[in-house]
Amino acid sequence: MEAYRQEIILGAVVVYMLFCVLTGLWAMKRTKNSSDFFIAGRGLGPFVIALALFSSTLSGFGFVGGPGLVYSVGVSSFWMVVISSTGYAIGFFLVAKRIRMIAELRNCISLPDIVAARYKSEAVRFLMAVTIVLGVMGYLATQILAMAVVMQAILSGTVMFADIGLVACVVISSAVLIFYCVTGGIIASVYTDVVQGSIMMIAGTLILFTAMSVFDGGMAEATSIILADDSEAIMPFGAAGIMASLGWFFVFGLGLAGQPHIITKMMMNKNISDNRIILPMSLFGYIMAALLWISIGVVIRAAVVDGIIDPLALPDDAASVFLSVFASPLLAGIVFAGLFAAIMSTSDAFLNIGTAAIIHDIPKAIRGHSVRNELFWARVVTVLLAVVAASFALYSYYADATLVAILGAFGWATFSASIFPVVAIGLNWKGATVMGAMTAIVAALLINFIVQLAGIVLPYGISGGLVSFVTSLLLFIGVSLLTKPPQLDADIESVLDI
Amino acid sequence: MQSKLIYVIFAIVVLIAGVLIAISLAPPVANSGGIPHPDIPGMQAGGDGAARLEYIGNLAFAFQCLLLGLIVCLCGLGVSARRRSRELMIYMGSSLGFMLIVWWQMYSSHQAFLESGTTAYFMGFPIATAWQVYGTWLGAIPLILIYSMGFRKYIYTPEDEEKFDSLLAERKVAEQDQAGKQASGPQ
Repeated sequence: MEAYRQEIILGAVVVYMLFCVLTGLWAMKRTKNSSDFFIAGRGLGPFVIALALFSSTLSGFGFVGGPGLVYSVGVSSFWMVVISSTGYAIGFFLVAKRIRMIAELRNCISLPDIVAARYKSEAVRFLMAVTIVLGVMGYLATQILAMAVVMQAILSGTVMFADIGLVACVVISSAVLIFYCVTGGIIASVYTDVVQGSIMMIAGTLILFTAMSVFDGGMAEATSIILADDSEAIMPFGAAGIMASLGWFFVFGLGLAGQPHIITKMMMNKNISDNRIILPMSLFGYIMAALLWISIGVVIRAAVVDGIIDPLALPDDAASVFLSVFASPLLAGIVFAGLFAAIMSTSDAFLNIGTAAIIHDIPKAIRGHSVRNELFWARVVTVLLAVVAASFALYSYYADATLVAILGAFGWATFSASIFPVVAIGLNWKGATVMGAMTAIVAALLINFIVQLAGIVLPYGISGGLVSFVTSLLLFIGVSLLTKPPQLDADIESVLDI
Repeated sequence: MQSKLIYVIFAIVVLIAGVLIAISLAPPVANSGGIPHPDIPGMQAGGDGAARLEYIGNLAFAFQCLLLGLIVCLCGLGVSARRRSRELMIYMGSSLGFMLIVWWQMYSSHQAFLESGTTAYFMGFPIATAWQVYGTWLGAIPLILIYSMGFRKYIYTPEDEEKFDSLLAERKVAEQDQAGKQASGPQ
């Protein structure tokens, strides 16, 4: 079996991609209007939503960057993972019920629709839509690039595709993504998410058992090797230090309820009461999949420290080196399919919300109405958005990484800082005002932009994302308290009372 | 909705901002955010753990206590003010207590290791890290239980469901009226 390692991995990835294409074709028949395309007609069951929620949360960053971070900075990055139970709890307490209610009451199909209804303000809708588009471009470009790099690594190991270029890999992987997103919209996305989430859970569990068998003494031996080399790396705050760690706890914990690609899925369930079981199911799935992050990272760091394998050229090589050295070909095939699943399940969610912002929200904020024939334009813009993001990715790789790096700054932290106060608190506090919302969004964008562009390094590992999040919370509540309480529409006021 | 909880949340955020400012002004420590590993390129090391916490240990501890308080208050904000009963407050307070205990155990275990240089292991990790990995993950489980098991009592009661259904019905009637007026055109 070892002799056919690359072929087995390639086969697993091809089977997975064929599944995505077939799901797109199946979902196309069920996509009759823009509501189906963007929010699946609010008709999804709890199991589908739960898997879609957690698989969108854990992107390629979790499968590639996560183990790389453990290799690089030790236990510090665990804080991004162990916060998941708190993050999901906050998301459901603050967002899940009311976003779903307003979505049905006002026929909302996007997050900016929700905030426009809540604040009675097209300006807030516009700012939210622009934030989403900027964030989506950065996220999508990095996800597409990651997908292409992994595909090139797999294909170049076979005789037939030994010389394949990165451009060809971007085209192939983007084509599959675009196909099922364009044909089936969010219906295809969430049903592929079900399989993607299942693959990720299986991959995480199998990897944990494989990782525990690398050292005779299991995980305890791996951690004791790291402890002997640099104790802080395996202690709770890792090499990055206590404030970097607690900052990640803050930004990733509270911030989950500010991620548009995640909370938009909370608008799609058929029954509001399903939320009570969606929450534990999502959390269980996330924990199972995230085992990969922790176990690969710890074992690879220990193996390098112990001299079993050479130091990695790049920290992000941790997962691929682990798979090639310690995993059987079959497991490597499942995990590589899981990796594509993680990247695609996040990318399709971003394509969906980005398209909604462009064809639905920005025109509505400027002209008062959306484009005609939304379904047709949704499909066109999905293609264009993916092509532009892929072009950004290639430009970044070959010419200048600055643009994507800047857009990349509009990642998790910026979404957390700009969206969490406005949505998560705004849906639960009648006193939140338009001025408070706009101030918070603008401040969050500016601080993240400035910290990124100026390369500002704060003391004790305090991140710009943490500073922007705390500032936007302060401004949102403070400015709202200082400005005149808004006159809410009667139905929105009733929803906020429920 | 009209409760004072938002003021409590605001006060906690102000205190968090104050702690961050105090930490920023603390004397710098060379390895506070990690240093390059002496032998392995691309890897970071933590170095002297006690030195890293010398000036900011208590502030960082307070930061996390405030953050855990903020998390529980935010969850409370997500419950309609009418449902924030004494019973719920006890559950929420117990959840916060549990999270604070986990945090205290993690921090004090780390301190104990820094003083003694030795540690026991639990399920593959040094004790302090085990509190982080398993304890933090489990720390929010009480909140999840309150949400899932108390859903019909605190989050979305049968009464809430009736109220929402009537809102939907009112909306439907209003839309039909609107459609009717548009269909009949100007008189």
